[in-house]
Amino acid sequence: MTVLLTKPPALRTAVPKKRKRRPDRAAYLFLLPWLIGIVFTVGPFAVSLYLAFTDYNLLTAPRWSGWDNIREMIGDATLHQSLRVTAIYTLVSVPLSLAAALAVAMVLQRGVRGLSIYRSVYYLPSLLGSSVAIVMLWRYLFGYQGVVNRFLGWFGIQGPGWTSDPHFALSTLILLHVWTFGAPMVIFLAGLKQIPVMYYEAAAMDGASAWRQFRSVTLPLLSPIIFFNLVQSMIASFQTFTQGYVMSGGTGGPAESTLFSNLYLYQKGFGELDMGYASSMAWLLLVIIGGFTAVNFLAARYWVFYEN
Amino acid sequence: MNTVNRRGALKIAGLAGLAATLPACGRGFGGGSDKKGDTVELNMVWWGDSARAAKTQAALDLFQSAHPEIHVRTEYQDSAPYKDKLVTRFAAGDPPDLMAMRVDSLREYAGRGALLDLAQQGGKLDLSGLTDAARALGVVGQQNFGVPSGLNTVGYVVDKALTDKYGVKIPDGNTWSWPDLAAFATQVTTASAGKVYGTNFETWTIANLIVFTRQHGEDFYTADGKLGVTAATVTEWFAMVQKMRADKGFPPAGFIDPNGGASPAQSYLAKKSIASQIIPTNNFLNYNKVCGGQLQLLRMPGETQGTRRGQSIDTPALWSVAAKSKHPQEALTLLNFLVNDEAGAKAAGTTRGVPASQKVAAAIAPVLEPDDQRATTYLTELQNEKLPASYSYPIGASKLTNILKTISTEVEFGRKTPAAAATQFVGEATKALTA
Repeated sequence: MTVLLTKPPALRTAVPKKRKRRPDRAAYLFLLPWLIGIVFTVGPFAVSLYLAFTDYNLLTAPRWSGWDNIREMIGDATLHQSLRVTAIYTLVSVPLSLAAALAVAMVLQRGVRGLSIYRSVYYLPSLLGSSVAIVMLWRYLFGYQGVVNRFLGWFGIQGPGWTSDPHFALSTLILLHVWTFGAPMVIFLAGLKQIPVMYYEAAAMDGASAWRQFRSVTLPLLSPIIFFNLVQSMIASFQTFTQGYVMSGGTGGPAESTLFSNLYLYQKGFGELDMGYASSMAWLLLVIIGGFTAVNFLAARYWVFYEN
Repeated sequence: MNTVNRRGALKIAGLAGLAATLPACGRGFGGGSDKKGDTVELNMVWWGDSARAAKTQAALDLFQSAHPEIHVRTEYQDSAPYKDKLVTRFAAGDPPDLMAMRVDSLREYAGRGALLDLAQQGGKLDLSGLTDAARALGVVGQQNFGVPSGLNTVGYVVDKALTDKYGVKIPDGNTWSWPDLAAFATQVTTASAGKVYGTNFETWTIANLIVFTRQHGEDFYTADGKLGVTAATVTEWFAMVQKMRADKGFPPAGFIDPNGGASPAQSYLAKKSIASQIIPTNNFLNYNKVCGGQLQLLRMPGETQGTRRGQSIDTPALWSVAAKSKHPQEALTLLNFLVNDEAGAKAAGTTRGVPASQKVAAAIAPVLEPDDQRATTYLTELQNEKLPASYSYPIGASKLTNILKTISTEVEFGRKTPAAAATQFVGEATKALTA
């Protein structure tokens, strides 16, 4: 890898002095969009931190209220429910979707004909999964008189309203999330391709079974990729909004069973005109996501394996 | 070595950047009013569907030809996102000049100085054609922050095509009781062998519960802006629906997707899954169109058995002017047109209810489509009867729908008893109104 960073000596003499640049300058060029973007995020960030300590109804100027919002959060049962929903959703759907992504990636990796077609087909849902149209479609599929229940009806089973029954609505959304495994799958595919075949050959020579090869070769060498996917998926899943909003018409229903934190935040800010409290919630969510990510990084020391 | 190392992992991480998130942009409204040349541009916003848009535009075209010096830029949304967009416009200091205002949000805006007091604006706006009860819908204390865009009430519609098909007699709509409704609903379900459920209405729609509360001699909201309904009445409400569900007159729990879209075309009535439901009367024409033209418009059950009458004259929306409007005079001119111009009212029809001005209502009645005429007759008859007074929605009222929706779902799925749910509702609603 270091070879890439040092220029060949012959080239060094040929290049005029003024064009000699430190290679990392180029990085800033690529970072430029992000740096420009930061200008637009830092401002709102700072304002929302200020608003988190105010009583702000959007119609009149914010009023400093100190720790009131934080105190209110401690006793807000609806907030606790929304955090519970978000946590269940994340802890169940992220491992499931990563497992599905890895499984499909490994099948595709075996050299299927028309790989690029399959890759696109499986990747497609993750582009569409959080789109309004797909969530609407799922609502029709999983409605009380939807396709799924009609299918169950052939076997004499009356299925519940998968989206209107509070016992099942969140599970239906988890299923939708698992279905959108395309993004981690593409990354897994790239990672799998980087594992040298010689390791598998050596393992096979030693008589390792397919499962043993998976455990002792694939998993360790893929662990950085798994780790990356895990962190990405968890952060994204904590920020879920659209699925809950569309599926429940913005209410988080039935009976608060799909009330994601971000959805409750939105309701508080724009529905109940309590933007101060909504800002507090946004920061609470930031702290929670930060906490989970930190735990992930700490745990990574024990299971993520870098080859050099 | 071509294996995965830190740098390799990072490179692959870059792939994730490809999965860029697409920002969700909806049709929205933005931008303020500006003076272009000699014309003043007014921004007018409201909620509704394309049918309402066409009728509104027809009325505005008439206004434009009479007032070439004013250019009206109108924008509309579905009702749920409308509320959120509107408050964002205010927060950004760029409110629309004239806007449709929800009844349960009026005091939330007015109490914070966001709306123009129409009582202080002199002669531009003539409200002499409105009854006191109609005018009161937009009044807060001594001030007037809204004018009803039209008048409506809730009514019970029954699909006669279905009852004829299954041979069930529709009860007398002027005198039927809640038990009559329950018996009728069970009959339909039984006669259709479960293909059609007899009735369904939204347990969680405040307007429905208000009728029931008034029939019990209680005010849902009191004159001083508090919650007046008792837990006993709410218990009865939940228990009544629970019993109808057990008797199969109501669909089973989970059958109705409460978020499946509120438009008549998407309704379970249009799908012929149910035979009757409660609707706002201004939507009668639209419902009858999508249900095959056989809908009967009945009064609410229990009107002759209760302690007193439950139905009241309401409005689907108020028109309000922003306090910060740069052109309040022009906005008032437009508002006055909407309230008092007969040709304009003819063009707009009764999509926002029967015209609030009695004179205009009488003038346009003969030229309305038959279904609009029936809804108008229904309302004017009610208007001529003696109904108990109703009071404006207090600050915090807009939160009650969500509270009731959550709690009634708990009852629907048997996770709470009607009594426990009612106590919880009264507790949370009281808190929401005082917070």
